[in-house]
Amino acid sequence: MKDFSRRDLFARGAAAGFAAGAMAMPGGAAFAMPGPSAGPAGATAQPRGPGLPSVWGEDFLYQWSPPEDLVRDLTPGKSRIRLSGQTTPRFSNAEGTDYAAYFSKLKAGGWSAVESASNTWLSRGKMPESEIREIKQAAAANDVVFYGLHCAGNIIAPDPDADRWQRHMIDSIAAAEEMGCELILTHAGSMYANRNWAHPKNWSREAWERSVNALKRICRDTAGSKVKIAIEAVNTESINNPWAHVRLREDVGDPRITVGLDITNMVFPHVAFRMSEFINTTFDLLEDQIAYVHGKDFVWNEMLPGMNWAMQGTGNMDYEMFLVRLSRLKSNPYMLIEFLNEPEEYAMAQRNVRAIAQGVGVTIHGTQG
Amino acid sequence: MLRHVIIAAGLLLAPVAVMAQDLTGTWVRDGARSDVIPDSMYYTVRGVVTGGTRGPSTNHMIEISQDSATMQVTDPTRPLRVYPLDGRPHTVPADTGIVDATITASVQGAAVVVKRSQTYSGLPGSATLATTEYWTLAPDGNSLVLTTIRETPARRFTYNEVYNRRAASTSAR
Repeated sequence: MKDFSRRDLFARGAAAGFAAGAMAMPGGAAFAMPGPSAGPAGATAQPRGPGLPSVWGEDFLYQWSPPEDLVRDLTPGKSRIRLSGQTTPRFSNAEGTDYAAYFSKLKAGGWSAVESASNTWLSRGKMPESEIREIKQAAAANDVVFYGLHCAGNIIAPDPDADRWQRHMIDSIAAAEEMGCELILTHAGSMYANRNWAHPKNWSREAWERSVNALKRICRDTAGSKVKIAIEAVNTESINNPWAHVRLREDVGDPRITVGLDITNMVFPHVAFRMSEFINTTFDLLEDQIAYVHGKDFVWNEMLPGMNWAMQGTGNMDYEMFLVRLSRLKSNPYMLIEFLNEPEEYAMAQRNVRAIAQGVGVTIHGTQG
Repeated sequence: MLRHVIIAAGLLLAPVAVMAQDLTGTWVRDGARSDVIPDSMYYTVRGVVTGGTRGPSTNHMIEISQDSATMQVTDPTRPLRVYPLDGRPHTVPADTGIVDATITASVQGAAVVVKRSQTYSGLPGSATLATTEYWTLAPDGNSLVLTTIRETPARRFTYNEVYNRRAASTSAR
């Protein structure tokens, strides 16, 4: 068996990458590590992988700086974005809720869409028909769309929890259907009980098959429902890039598997300073599979590749590109502003997002009071 | 008529006549007399405090070199700033080198006023950050007050910093 030098690896990987087209592995074969399935030569014909195109110095640099000649197409589309916020108190069906007052306050704050957490929603049990009507009427009267249930849980948790959480998704879909919601949001899951912990096998074939099978079961047990199953990417899980989103839908084989797009949850150093390209690539790949989106922001201010959440519109996110691409979707998208603490922070985030949208000619529904 | 022209010219030149005092020197930030300032580079949320915060114990030094045409500020916490004091907008690279910033600097009364506009992050697509700095020398010439207004669509933030003139060092024997 011949040992190839790193330079040999690059030369071979580059040749394979060239044949595969522009969307080569970040850094060419600098990233290509021979695995058990790579054959005795180790580095022969590396398959095309996820990542942005190389910029320069791919034989010795990670491709983390943006190209100097980057041109952004900021032509807006016609879709209107409805903003939703994780403001407190969160929307729920807790007994005694004054729905008219709640939706009226949302509208006054510039929020024209809302979601609810599945755990709280399902804990109520069977709701009276009169209350369901009341919620729908209050939402409509205030021009607020109650679009979905944001689900807790981990559909590939160690058994027997996986089954419990899969049934939770199935129940959430039923509840969403009952409320006239368009979607539920869930995740591919983690091999640890807590899906925010990165298990070393989350990117293994075993984990992938658990996720695919779990979603197949959820789709099968809710067949006939129109409620979309939007998957949110998270870096700690297998679905942490747009290519994985595409493949998941193919492998599950159901068009109800859509995308709850969270661009920032997919950020790693390779794309941290190349967000304009990453956003464009993501929308090119996923386009109208996108059921709704999360709006967050981040900065990289740690020695380790440690990102921290930032006020929307102040970090590395190219919000102009993001909003423009959203406005080009066929349906009017919902954007959840999240990961802030205080109500005033949500108001500030909304002001930034609205100002950026106005600057590029994108329409945000409603007005901020 | 000539008299009116002379008066008008005199009014126009008035700001020059009361030109800001020369801020040239080495200045030490007086943390006790300055506001606590959040990190001006990052606007983190969810309780994350980043390293750029200037608190009461932040006493770093800056150097200013000023002549009739420019003011140059050397601050260890950021790249060298050279401001043409001509009141005209100038396009310069942001500190990231990725996008441009626009700066306009002039002497207004006793203050040097520096306006800067760029994206908050210095990357494409973020909110606009407009900063205005007022550099003013105290009457005794030994204190410098820097008032900064930082404005984004989200909020407007004003803070003051005081710098004390560092005495010239005596030569070693």
